[in-house]
Amino acid sequence: MIRRGLQGAARLRHHGALPGAARILPRLNPASAFGSSTDSLVSRFCPEKTDLKDYALPNASWCPDMLSLYQEFLEKTKADGWVKLPSFKSNRDHIQGLKLPSGLAATSDKSDWRLFTRCIPVEGQGFEYAIFFHPSKKKSVCLFQPGPYLEGAPGFAHGGSLTTMIDETFSKIAFLAGEGLLTLSLNIKFKNLIPVGSLAVLNIDVEKIEDQKLYMSCVAQSRDQKTIYAKCSGVFLRLQLEQE
Amino acid sequence: MLRSCAARLHALGALRGLPGAARPPARSPGPARRSLFLEADFHKDSSLPKPSWSKDMRLLFDQFMKKCEDGSWTRLPFYSYKAVQNVHDFIAFIHGSLPSTAKLVDKEQLSQAQIFTESFKDGLGFEYVMFYNDAEKRTVCLFQGGPHLQGMPGFLHGGAVATMIDATVGMSAIKAEGLVMTANLNINFKRPVPLCSVVVINSHLDKTEGRKLFISCDVRSVDETTLYSEATSSPSSRRKCGPSPAPLTRC
Repeated sequence: MIRRGLQGAARLRHHGALPGAARILPRLNPASAFGSSTDSLVSRFCPEKTDLKDYALPNASWCPDMLSLYQEFLEKTKADGWVKLPSFKSNRDHIQGLKLPSGLAATSDKSDWRLFTRCIPVEGQGFEYAIFFHPSKKKSVCLFQPGPYLEGAPGFAHGGSLTTMIDETFSKIAFLAGEGLLTLSLNIKFKNLIPVGSLAVLNIDVEKIEDQKLYMSCVAQSRDQKTIYAKCSGVFLRLQLEQE
Repeated sequence: MLRSCAARLHALGALRGLPGAARPPARSPGPARRSLFLEADFHKDSSLPKPSWSKDMRLLFDQFMKKCEDGSWTRLPFYSYKAVQNVHDFIAFIHGSLPSTAKLVDKEQLSQAQIFTESFKDGLGFEYVMFYNDAEKRTVCLFQGGPHLQGMPGFLHGGAVATMIDATVGMSAIKAEGLVMTANLNINFKRPVPLCSVVVINSHLDKTEGRKLFISCDVRSVDETTLYSEATSSPSSRRKCGPSPAPLTRC
């Protein structure tokens, strides 16, 4: 039913945008429950064995704060229910075997396209980050170290890079917590600038899950929690991926 | 948060400090009038047409350049960060405003730094050019997001859209108030933007209340039929430009 509805929407869009059309996609039937539970989504997302390179692993550019906090969370993955999320070069690699709903799939597809936060390949120059997720508490922590290529004001990370990191973490958590797929809105309040090369800890909570939307909040702060860098809330659209 | 204020200040200085500012600045007008921003040794203006620009991008660019002819619109050039390194006053301002975080700045890393939106090789990341209309208090940014800015397969990352909205809104604010800091940014995404397509980001200063500015912005397709996102922002000016010999404060 979802497939037919989306195909209908795709046909409508093909004939030009409808003026005043409030929805980009048809209303999803609440009865068609999102079948995948968080646990099954997580196990699919975190394959036991894979040839793909996981970029969310320590490297020489990580500052001591980042390394030690990473180790702390790694310990928590052993017994406390935390999961470390792998991070591949493209979202395509994260959804192997699945694809975007037919109304949304891009018409062309190039293999050299890369996930924005993984496209600066030189260690330490761009986004260095690792995301940990707690499926039952629906919480997440992202350790983020912005490199010199992300600069805005001299010595500090560009606000856009922090917004990007928050959006990226939101998108992974939204997917795992409730098949959230697309950002609907972001509301970010900047408090302080993040020095380039230092660690920012992003704490994310899933606030509410509705039929079609997922609400999350994030606080980005220094490790000692004395400096708050930004607060952000985000809403994601829930959409089921289709089998290829 | 200070958006790439460094580059913006270049633009500001270039436009307000020199004669014939409406035309894209070519060379500095001569040693007597040399400003901090137009050192003779080098400038690379990344907001001029390049091979990586799509046809849509070039067409729009030409349309806007035409609008610049009568002076109502101006193209805002951007210069890479390296040329700003000597803007001591600017750096002092930042470090003065945020003393605790400023202590942590690694001076060595500063030397390798590039402004975020300029960090990508030609065509792979952010390709953009901004035009400003002073009478309408409007900044328009033509933005082509390259293949390394992907989010969902085939579409632009939300963060990339947010970055460009922030940059455009920031420019509106800087034009109005000089140095500013984003207090908050509120973005509603309506449709995902296909990767490698061109969008028009249109930002407008709605009103000013004391030191607070209210700016609204929308992101549309080239033919304006598709609305990709809407945003509002309320930056506040940290400090009114004070009396100082540096061109920085010629706001």
